[in-house]
Amino acid sequence: MLSQQIINGLMLGAIYMLVAVAFTLAIGVLNFLNFSLPGLFMLGGMLAFGFLKLGWPFFLAAGGALFVAALVSLLVERLAYRRMREGDAEVPLVSSLGFLVLLENLVLIRYGSDQQAFPALFADMNVRVGGLVIGIAQMVSLAISLGLVAWLSWFLRATNAGRRIRTVAENRETALLMGINIERLVPQLFVGSALLAALAGLLFAVNYQQVSPFMGEGIGFKAVAAMIIGGMGSIWGAVIGGLLIGLAEVLSISLIGADVVNITVYGLLLVILIVRPQGLIGRPPAREKL
Amino acid sequence: MALLDVSALQVQYGRVTALSGVDLRVGEGEVVTVLGANGAGKSTLLRAILGAVPVRAGGITFDGVDLTRQPPHARIKAGVVLVPEGRRILISLSVEENLLLGAHMRTDSRAIRAEIDAIYQRFPNLGERRHMLASCLSGGEQQMLAIGRAMLAKPRLMMLDEPSLGLSPLFVSKLFDLIRELNRGGLSVLLVEQNTGKALGVAHHATVLELGRVVMAGDPKALAADPRLQEAYLGEGTPAHH
Repeated sequence: MLSQQIINGLMLGAIYMLVAVAFTLAIGVLNFLNFSLPGLFMLGGMLAFGFLKLGWPFFLAAGGALFVAALVSLLVERLAYRRMREGDAEVPLVSSLGFLVLLENLVLIRYGSDQQAFPALFADMNVRVGGLVIGIAQMVSLAISLGLVAWLSWFLRATNAGRRIRTVAENRETALLMGINIERLVPQLFVGSALLAALAGLLFAVNYQQVSPFMGEGIGFKAVAAMIIGGMGSIWGAVIGGLLIGLAEVLSISLIGADVVNITVYGLLLVILIVRPQGLIGRPPAREKL
Repeated sequence: MALLDVSALQVQYGRVTALSGVDLRVGEGEVVTVLGANGAGKSTLLRAILGAVPVRAGGITFDGVDLTRQPPHARIKAGVVLVPEGRRILISLSVEENLLLGAHMRTDSRAIRAEIDAIYQRFPNLGERRHMLASCLSGGEQQMLAIGRAMLAKPRLMMLDEPSLGLSPLFVSKLFDLIRELNRGGLSVLLVEQNTGKALGVAHHATVLELGRVVMAGDPKALAADPRLQEAYLGEGTPAHH
């Protein structure tokens, strides 16, 4: 029973993890707390739902949802980030929050505010190991999430593009002097973080078989909490923070009750910040980036 | 025809004029040094040649190609590279990653590997610490790393901004040996230095800036003997003491 809950917790944690990594890319490299990401998470789930309703096959619906999320993220870059980055760091934060509300309401106009049922893809296909029931969708999602983050971490360490991103993260001015084309790199990062968030939304929809225009909000705040718990600006910190929050949430529902979920999650955040203000694997004032 | 030809260059920061009509030429295989007091516009000149500060008027031609409106990455690709003031080593990257960063626009990974290994041979301290964060290096080692990183961009012209600043006398000698060595290998060098004596010793040509204007230019030996330069810039730490 407990191991079943741990598997469920890891699954939910993998979703937080993807969104937390998306936030980490934005804050670590661009110094931008991009609150449109929960909106892009929602687009990943809601648009896939909408495209499926139009009769599209699953992979086309999924690809279409990711594609639209990437385009919207480029729009956020143009309208919220590029135009306002000369001013205070808070300005793009607020305008990205505006994008979140806008996206939620656009989707609400089209699909209504109710929670909708997302069709089951792998109808009741389970693997039973010992006493554990592991859904195929769960396993595939977990593998995709962990594989993607491991790949991203390799990409940042071992490729020229990765070193360029880490250089911009450490010092934008130096990056310019090294001949890094920042004007081109920034939109690429927006697309990358949008794809992570939208994929998380899609996996959420597939696993929990429900979508709504506001599905991004709770997840988004917990992903930010996961990023902070792990240590701001560190990808592996976001991974650990995400999985930890997923576990804490599922375990507190099963052991204590559903009413206390947020108390547990944000209590955990508070305790960790009191004990280790830099987060679990963050280093005091941001040395190693990403 | 000169490799680098800067003509009537003007740079403005807001309402402050940093450069007002600077002319400068660097021939193929030459070492040219730019001298001047703090605030004379030396760093601004190098940054403008790299494209990191906008040019208001005038032109920058490199190997016959007009670079005046090109972004830095295009200029580095064309063969102009800057070793910035303060070295600007990336301290969250390892020693080797810093070198690889210098080659980030190249795709010939075999040649890059060979060049990095040659740098480790030349500077064993860098080789021994290749996988450590670059912040573990001493100031002198960081300067060698910054020059190695710049070399990995395969430049034809290397600009150095105050490379001897903060280095021990031993490393200052090593630094100028390295500049001579690179120049003998065919690299053209544009050197901004506080260490006027050493700079005039290595240069084929010297230019003196004052408040954003060229006030003297010519043969370094003649300049070194010029009483005006003696008075203004050859006060302390000059060859007279060495």
